[in-house]
Amino acid sequence: MAPAASLPPRVDAIVVGSGAGGAPVAARLAEAGLEVLLLEAGPRLSSSDFTGDEGAMTAQLYTLRLAGGSGLNLYAGTCVGGSTVINDALCFRTPPEILDAWRREGGLEPFREDAFGPFLDRAWADLGAAPTDRGHLNRNAHVLESGAARLGWKAHAMARNVRGCTNLGLCNFGCPTGAKQSTLVTYVPRAERAGARVVPDTRVHHVWLEAGRVRGVQAHRLDPVTRAPLETLRVEAPRVVLAAGVLETPAILLRSGITGDGVVGKDLQFHTSLHVTGRFAEPIHGYYGPTMAYAVTQFSDVNGNGGPGFMLENVAVHPIATASALPGFGEAHGRAMAELPHLARALVVLRDRSRGILGVDDQGRPGVRYLLDAYDRRRLRDGILAIARAFLAAGALEVWLPLNGVLPIRSERELEGLAQLLFEPSAASLLYAVHLFGGASMASSSLRGSCDETGQVFDVQGLFVSDASSLPSNTGVNPQITIVANALRVAEGILAQPRGGTA
Amino acid sequence: MNSPPATPAMERALREAAAGLDRRSFLRVAGAAAALGLLPSGCGRAPETLAPPPDVTLAALTPRTYAVLNAAAMRLLGPPAAALVADHRVDPARTTDAWLARVPELRAPVQQALLVLELAPWPLLAKLRPFTALDPAAQDAVLDDLMRSRLELKRALFKGVKGFACLSFYAAPEARALTGYPGPFGGGTNAGRAAMAEAMRYPLG
Repeated sequence: MAPAASLPPRVDAIVVGSGAGGAPVAARLAEAGLEVLLLEAGPRLSSSDFTGDEGAMTAQLYTLRLAGGSGLNLYAGTCVGGSTVINDALCFRTPPEILDAWRREGGLEPFREDAFGPFLDRAWADLGAAPTDRGHLNRNAHVLESGAARLGWKAHAMARNVRGCTNLGLCNFGCPTGAKQSTLVTYVPRAERAGARVVPDTRVHHVWLEAGRVRGVQAHRLDPVTRAPLETLRVEAPRVVLAAGVLETPAILLRSGITGDGVVGKDLQFHTSLHVTGRFAEPIHGYYGPTMAYAVTQFSDVNGNGGPGFMLENVAVHPIATASALPGFGEAHGRAMAELPHLARALVVLRDRSRGILGVDDQGRPGVRYLLDAYDRRRLRDGILAIARAFLAAGALEVWLPLNGVLPIRSERELEGLAQLLFEPSAASLLYAVHLFGGASMASSSLRGSCDETGQVFDVQGLFVSDASSLPSNTGVNPQITIVANALRVAEGILAQPRGGTA
Repeated sequence: MNSPPATPAMERALREAAAGLDRRSFLRVAGAAAALGLLPSGCGRAPETLAPPPDVTLAALTPRTYAVLNAAAMRLLGPPAAALVADHRVDPARTTDAWLARVPELRAPVQQALLVLELAPWPLLAKLRPFTALDPAAQDAVLDDLMRSRLELKRALFKGVKGFACLSFYAAPEARALTGYPGPFGGGTNAGRAAMAEAMRYPLG
């Protein structure tokens, strides 16, 4: 690891975070001729480092936080490439209903379809997003497809950003072939080719300000093995772009004394998820093939669907993830795990209505509080029951709902008995979210958000937010393309400013 | 064969898992237990059958908390897993110990959580004797009480211990064999390669 002394004391722009929100900005600014430093808290790994080992790779690539109040596990990627290295490569354009709400309710005119559409097009092309053909649908996806078809539900294969995918089923542990077009293999190399310097193992603590302008960042270089802070560095820049993710970007603002009159850290919103597991007579081998590829949109409330607001998506069947999500314990747990090759899994992706808050403690450590309201809890229940129906329709012998204390379901009739179940988050075997939004939202005024429509933090010249924390709400679909498109838009806004600074 | 000591990556995973266990909840449970005078020092002897093997030097866990973690894993993960843990072919507690040795700030909360499970008696937990001294059925009753409790703190304790058990057990290749998962890239076997091909073939049956 290069010592801090080898870093330049001053650059044109610092980008904090190398995932979907940061790497595109770094690439665009560097390509426009700016001297760019791209700081990443996680390590830098390459395709050859991705062994496919679930335990070791999860350890190395993920960060986990617990949301107080609901017991939600919040996951994010922590490596060069961020969550794009561990996501399932799923691509959706921002739904028109979401763009319309951001414009109509938030006063954010740049999200008109005609204005934002070209950025979505560019993100789609840059990441190599394309429809998924049948050669990349595995049995695990087919089970959901088959169940949905028998129930007459709307469903389709999801687009993915892969080139030359060989169906290894390791998307969540870093793609070992480089087929997944994460920012690690797209925008980060582009940024470097244009002269940007990527500095891993460097966690930004705060930005420093002077007379209403950003002056630079203070960061800790981390030991690559223990992650303990080794040294502190300060780098000056007239432009700082925060893209450290929803669990860190609002915390950096708060540690910098930027509270936005109490707005920063507010309005967190997630896509809360639950896994349902079904056992089939035939082998499924759900640990091989694309980790996710098929969605039931029947219950979605975006893209013209008039449902209650959740999607169902197939999800891979790796041992640790499956064991953690199965309800109960003991002999039944062991029996279920012994049937792993015959298990299929799917998850609910809820467009939450609930909102949460992120704060920092007296040592600057972030903490999240998020309470699921009764409406969201009802829809989560309805979502897991819908997956169970689909699995039973597809021929499942039994279905495990992710609820401790609930026995496996073997028939529609048993399912009907659960229709009025009161879903308690703490009874869930695993309740989690990987799609995190908000905490530093864009808005038309500083009374309602942390950033203006360009992503610039209100009252702080030169400080921008370009990750999902600046989005005004959740999106109802997997957000990768939306985040990249917005990052490209923020970059163009920065480049449109006078090059001499950000007066 | 013993599980290898935790790798740095595994250590980090366990550290994150511990964060996910909600340390404050653990500490509140432990604090409540201590206030009620329910927690002895935790320096008692481990039952012989659950003691660490002679070649294992514990760096963070005590012999007692080592025993608690493996005892809980054996009940949580089912009989085949219990057999692997019992003869130390997979050793979740050793993996956890190696991790805790390098994350000193989490030693206390994890130790306290395990001591709550071990030593806290009724009415805090559904038992009057140490967890490791209970017969399997009684241990299951304690875990079941935690899992179904109306108290979120007790459910958090259950989820936390189960989460540790799943992560540290199924990460071991010997444990993976119980599941029928050939491993990444088909595990380098013909059966694994056949499974990879079969996964992409349908309709079923």
